[in-house]
Amino acid sequence: MEKTGAGVVVLSAKEAFEKLEKVGEGTYGKVYRAREKATGKIVALKKTRLHEDQDGVPPTTLREVSILRMLSRDPHVVSLMDVKQGQNKEGKTVLYLVFEYMDTDLKKFIRSFDQPGQNIPPETIKSLMYQLCKGIAFCHGHGILHRDLKPHNLLMDRKTMMLKIADLGLARAFTVPIKKYTHEILTLWYRAPEVLLGATHYSMAVDIWSVGCIFAELVTRRALFPGDSELQQLLHIFRLLGTPNEEVWPGVSKLKDWHEYPQWNSQSLSTAVPGLEELGLDLLSQMLEYEPSKRISAKKAMEHAYFDDLDKRNL
Amino acid sequence: MDFDLENPLGNFHDLPCDAVPSLFLIESDHIPPPNYCQSFKASDFDISVRRDVVSLISQLSCTFDPVLPYLAINYLDRFLAHQGILQPKPWANKLLAISCFSLAAKMLKTEYSATDVQVLMNHGDGGAIFEAQTIQRMEGIVLGALQWRMRSITPFSFIPFFVNLFRLKDPALRQVLKDGASEIILKSQREIKVLEFKPSTVAASALLYASHELFPFQYPCFLRAISDCSYINKETVVQCYNVIHDITREEYESVLNINSTSDTPVNVLDEHFLSLESEKTNGTNVVTQEQDFKRRKTTDYGNNRTVPFSHFHQC
Repeated sequence: MEKTGAGVVVLSAKEAFEKLEKVGEGTYGKVYRAREKATGKIVALKKTRLHEDQDGVPPTTLREVSILRMLSRDPHVVSLMDVKQGQNKEGKTVLYLVFEYMDTDLKKFIRSFDQPGQNIPPETIKSLMYQLCKGIAFCHGHGILHRDLKPHNLLMDRKTMMLKIADLGLARAFTVPIKKYTHEILTLWYRAPEVLLGATHYSMAVDIWSVGCIFAELVTRRALFPGDSELQQLLHIFRLLGTPNEEVWPGVSKLKDWHEYPQWNSQSLSTAVPGLEELGLDLLSQMLEYEPSKRISAKKAMEHAYFDDLDKRNL
Repeated sequence: MDFDLENPLGNFHDLPCDAVPSLFLIESDHIPPPNYCQSFKASDFDISVRRDVVSLISQLSCTFDPVLPYLAINYLDRFLAHQGILQPKPWANKLLAISCFSLAAKMLKTEYSATDVQVLMNHGDGGAIFEAQTIQRMEGIVLGALQWRMRSITPFSFIPFFVNLFRLKDPALRQVLKDGASEIILKSQREIKVLEFKPSTVAASALLYASHELFPFQYPCFLRAISDCSYINKETVVQCYNVIHDITREEYESVLNINSTSDTPVNVLDEHFLSLESEKTNGTNVVTQEQDFKRRKTTDYGNNRTVPFSHFHQC
């Protein structure tokens, strides 16, 4: 057999890309906006030094890069286009993850509607929500949970209004340091109640809860449950949805971190999310079901009547 | 991010029943390209090299879960398809075997002793001991060739899905069936011709073969369940079943040193697919065929070879 690709020169990462600017930094490395010299394409270049020991590529890195490669085919997951290995000045192995570049994220997008009374158009909310449900359905269809969905992890192209899920696994390590967003300490705002109460078995429902919180935030332009500690996060939730009990959520009192809480009755969602149409409120209520197994799935959410009048041909 | 690599459809029960298992859509990304088998058929030498490396991987993996050697051999085939066959140097074959084994172990988070690996690889000759750095470089080469798509979709990924279709209630019986199919999958992988089939097809055929051996009375129900699965091409399953049958018989005959000159009997699977076609057109035939089938099987098997009928759930 002849070797395929004979004669093709493989450029090192440094030679293949021109770094334009540093756009982020995290525990494991730096993020650059870069241009691929061969094609002129703009990419997000994420550089990490492998924590190599005697055993070469760490299993965690290997597993997570493999997952990102597998998920990259979906149009609503940020694409990991390539992986390149190189060496830094000290001779240590460096990994370059080459992602498609997106010019903004949902957090910035929401904040751009900053004038009083200036809301995101309902049809835009519907389109973004549909894309989010579709991307999450794709991940869940592969048995993969995100577990850290929040507006900052949802990248957007402002021109096309396309939304893509980012920060799965290793890519998450490149998030801008938490200290720069002190009001979002440990991103509790989108965390499902079963997680806050110490459930050890996560299910896909934890992501659906986050999707529901994001949905409400798109409508009101502020976080639905902005807690600044785990207890405060729970109290925010209980004040709106009512303090859960064994009747509405069988098993809740047996969760590890369950305590006695003030007893609130549930409020109507329409008081917290004014301006959302009836069908939207119905979908939101199904996303914010206390009992994880009763929460709507991403796939079922895509089929909800709220999306019936959405033109889905390009989504 | 969280997932079960070995059973990515394992939380299938969490998905709504109309969810499309995504693995069927992407499994072709994780097998060697179609021309791989043709290129091997052109050269006995290449086949013997592959067999040598497969044998080395099997030695390394003999004490581990069968998914591990399967994954490692999958990497080998995809690597050879990309790079061409290796030079006929025993040390290069060993290095490739170790690298594929090591990468598979990392993907499965399996611990192993590097010392044991070295000892095993050097048994019988005074060959080179590979330094950790050498293995790391080879791993890097394999990773690049496979474009870091290391989460291969293997036949093992589909077994839980198909076993659910069979509706066996007894967990012990399900495990017996899974173990039987797993053994068949591993044996089959050693032969090039099975590589022409998609992992889901291999899984379906192996399960049918195992069920025919282990649960002959229920075999027609299993066959119908597979035939009704919209993700499976029935004709391809027949072809794959025949290949598996031939491989298994070849192994059986080689053990007994029998040189059979008898004609190949009409394949069992062909018979029963024909039977199913009849069932769809003529209600009366259903009863007749069913009775004939049971009578034949009763006389073919002793009591020890079968499971009491009452253990089975009716179709």
